[in-house]
Amino acid sequence: MLRFDRRLLQHFDWIILLWLALIATMCLMNLYSAIYPEKPPGTPFYIKQLYYFIMGMGLVLAIISVDYRIFMAWNYPMYGAICLLLIYALILGKTQSGAQRWINLGFFNLQPSEPAKLMLVITLASYYSRKDTGKGFTLKELGIPIALTLFPFLLILKQPDLGTALMLGFIFVSMTLFVKLKWQTLNILLGVCASLIPIAWKFILKPYQRQRIETFLNPEADPLKSGYHIMQSKIAVGSGLTFGKGYLAGTQGHLDFLPERHTDFAFSIWAEEFGFVGSVLFLSIYFFLILWGLNSAVSSRDKFGTLLCIGVVSLIFWQAFINLAMVMGMLPVVGMPLPLFSYGGSSLLTTMAGIGILISVRMRRYQVPG
Amino acid sequence: MPRIRRAVEKIHKIDEEELIILKKRVDIATALIIVFIAILIARLWFLQIKKGEEYVKLSENNRIRIQQIQAPRGNVLDRFGRVIITNRPYFNLVWTKEDAPNPDEVIKKLALILHEDISNLLNSIREASGQPRYMPILLKEDIDWQTLVYIENHHFDLPGVRVEAVPSRDYLYGNMASHLIGYLGQINKEELATLKNSKYQGGDPIGKMGIEKLFEKELRGEKGYRYLEVDVLGFEQQILQHQDPLPGNDLQLTIDTDLQLTAEKAMEGLGGAVVAMDVNTGKLLALASSPPLKLDEFIGGISAKVWQEHLNDPLHPLLDKTIQGQYPPGSTYKIVTALAGLSEKIINPQTVFYCSGGLNIYNRRYGCWKTSGHGAISLQRALSESCDVYFYQVGQRLGVDRLAAYAESLGLGQKTGIDLENEKPGLVPTSAWKKKKKNEAWQDGETLSVAIGQGFNLATPLQICRMTAALVNGGKLYKPQIIEAIKDPEGSTIRKIQPDLLGTVHGSAQDRNFIINGLIDAVNTRHGTAGSAKMPSITVGGKTGTAQVVRMSKFKSIPQSLLPRQYKDHAWFTCFAPAEKPEIAVTVLVEHSGHGGSVAAPIAKQVLEEYFKDKIVVDDDELEKKPAQNLHDDQ
Repeated sequence: MLRFDRRLLQHFDWIILLWLALIATMCLMNLYSAIYPEKPPGTPFYIKQLYYFIMGMGLVLAIISVDYRIFMAWNYPMYGAICLLLIYALILGKTQSGAQRWINLGFFNLQPSEPAKLMLVITLASYYSRKDTGKGFTLKELGIPIALTLFPFLLILKQPDLGTALMLGFIFVSMTLFVKLKWQTLNILLGVCASLIPIAWKFILKPYQRQRIETFLNPEADPLKSGYHIMQSKIAVGSGLTFGKGYLAGTQGHLDFLPERHTDFAFSIWAEEFGFVGSVLFLSIYFFLILWGLNSAVSSRDKFGTLLCIGVVSLIFWQAFINLAMVMGMLPVVGMPLPLFSYGGSSLLTTMAGIGILISVRMRRYQVPG
Repeated sequence: MPRIRRAVEKIHKIDEEELIILKKRVDIATALIIVFIAILIARLWFLQIKKGEEYVKLSENNRIRIQQIQAPRGNVLDRFGRVIITNRPYFNLVWTKEDAPNPDEVIKKLALILHEDISNLLNSIREASGQPRYMPILLKEDIDWQTLVYIENHHFDLPGVRVEAVPSRDYLYGNMASHLIGYLGQINKEELATLKNSKYQGGDPIGKMGIEKLFEKELRGEKGYRYLEVDVLGFEQQILQHQDPLPGNDLQLTIDTDLQLTAEKAMEGLGGAVVAMDVNTGKLLALASSPPLKLDEFIGGISAKVWQEHLNDPLHPLLDKTIQGQYPPGSTYKIVTALAGLSEKIINPQTVFYCSGGLNIYNRRYGCWKTSGHGAISLQRALSESCDVYFYQVGQRLGVDRLAAYAESLGLGQKTGIDLENEKPGLVPTSAWKKKKKNEAWQDGETLSVAIGQGFNLATPLQICRMTAALVNGGKLYKPQIIEAIKDPEGSTIRKIQPDLLGTVHGSAQDRNFIINGLIDAVNTRHGTAGSAKMPSITVGGKTGTAQVVRMSKFKSIPQSLLPRQYKDHAWFTCFAPAEKPEIAVTVLVEHSGHGGSVAAPIAKQVLEEYFKDKIVVDDDELEKKPAQNLHDDQ
């Protein structure tokens, strides 16, 4: 059994806790503004989100208190459990806006596709760290990781939750590229992907998903309201100008123009109220966290830790980039939260767990195995 | 935990050389992330600094409005493709909360202009309270030209008020088939709640009854949208984006407009129903309930006062008598009794009973309508002259439960399954039914009444028509069909509805033929009860029925014509033609009007004359058979 090591505390990154608290404060502030001045019945979103943050901190503590290498041992049972949850959600899950994404736990509606992302990170990190010879992977060796990704990918796509499913793809690609592929493998994969796109377009995407992409590619021919969402979000961001309209003084968000303003479009409220300066400040704080996570990857002395960090960072980074680009009208509306900033328990807890893994890997950077 | 230790031991340790490679890759990733951040910041700069002022303008007073463009609803066609219902433009007054600084004042002014009670307008606004402030609220549908011009000229006094042109229903044949077609109304809150996730919004028209309701999904089409930039008063400055609406699909009915109009005209001023069915497919050629609904009254919502008037009307215009009117079937039920008697070998065509004008049995006298009696009478004549005593005898030997089995196989006592709402099942009484319903044992005398259609039994005109069709088409019980096909706006068929065979009638073809011969005699012999339906070149077969409404003896002596309307008998007539090779079955019911032979049969005859008009004209022609054949093959 791993004994408590005083060095663990010495190497604990106190800064990052402060940083998390800072982002949490911004998030709660912003959520407060998103529903201001309405008083919907029930617990307000920012209070609920505060609870989630507190739960998240507990999760971080739990994760850092054990050696992250335990995940390698328990990797497949965990993978199986999450897949079962996904199937369960698909069969019995509560249908919310036409999608089977939720499992009701009484106090909390769990969205199993969120932990599934983290599960994939752990699974791929474990697989690659065992198999990597440093010479690059061939197509044959990639068979198992592709299958491991594809299974939850299809389950989530079936829900249908295109955004999350794509996220699994992004995680797979990022981690696989990081462990290096043979050139030939890369070429073949690219070829296969390119030929799959039209098939996916025709058979896999649901009409509304196709519509979202079509809307983006050609906003002139918008049959639904997603074009309207993008336009209103751009107006919110754009009208913030240099210094913003001031806290609680945004107009786009407070009149019902912005859809999903506490979840996917949370950043447009921020940008409207704090302007260019506030937005750049936000991005700086936010991406510092991501770059710190990336740096953790090379602090580790074992490959599993490195790959875990790469996976968690790609998970947070891609969601953040896609969400922000969507809010600013650069990408189609796909239903992707901004990690740590959008309202939502499943996403927040998953992100916090990921950050827990980052801290854990970093803390144990001098614990050389063997 | 040895499992963990083993895993940890297996973990790949990174050596110095590898660390350099990994560091290089992390550096590349860092660089990539920084590029992505730069893209985001550049985009922020573009939106907030470069184009910022434009967006500020758009966000002030929020200048973007969604305007919906209603899709033209699908047309309704008759069986030959003739348009029955199409759309016409129609001007609605809408109001946007966001554009109106002083709503109370505007509403007051509008109430004056529209001659409308202010509370009605406020109600519309309250109904729409859940929707966002920038969505227009429908205040009044179909405003007239004068009001339209006035509002357009005074729009500066009426901030937030706008006139929208929307397609609405145009009934080319007035109220024709109005119960079948139904009407549209504004979607209400409950409907909106159940149709969540669909594209409906407050104020949208939605089918409320009839095929307009049942085929809403086909007819409605897809709404279009327009994103407008508006000025402070809510007036359009420019269109930012737009999407044209998609027209709904057309619905082709099985109804023949000419036949339907003939039926309705013949029923004018009367309360009742006419049903005409293609016997070989179950397709309905006419389905008329009289008096019709006045469809125009429903545009923009029917007022409570008019509704109440209709409810109090003795002719019950709100009731679709073809499928919701349940009447004692009267002597038309003798078809059932005859079929049961033949099949159960109670009688054969040669069986003779003696009618003295009544039957003394169970300590009572059961009278025949012909008080002087029919004398010795066989089945064929009993049917043709509608002898009650003959069928008392048959019924008495059969018992009520055996009779019920045949009635059910002919489709009585159950919904026909027609694609219309609120169909009534009618009633086929059995001893078990009476036990359950009234907790009383079945009385033998009651069987006699049932045997002549005068007991507890109830049937809708549609059921009687389908029964007639099943009698003459080889015993096939079809689901009555009203939709021929669904067509796209270009006119090509998307889906053709096939006849739906639900079951077969008990009894043999031979037995049915004996009955058919009796019905042919009813129309074509001197003593037949239905001589008024006789046609020169087409052989018609039919059965009259007179359903007593009151059985009080004090009315017995008074002639029907002198009775108050509500005590008069219902007149039935159900028939088929041509007798040699039946194509069409027609059933007529006229409420509180007298005898089937004198009231209902002439109406059925008018419908048949319309149906066979081509055949009658070319009757002497050499091409006699061909046009008739075509007429049939068209369907």
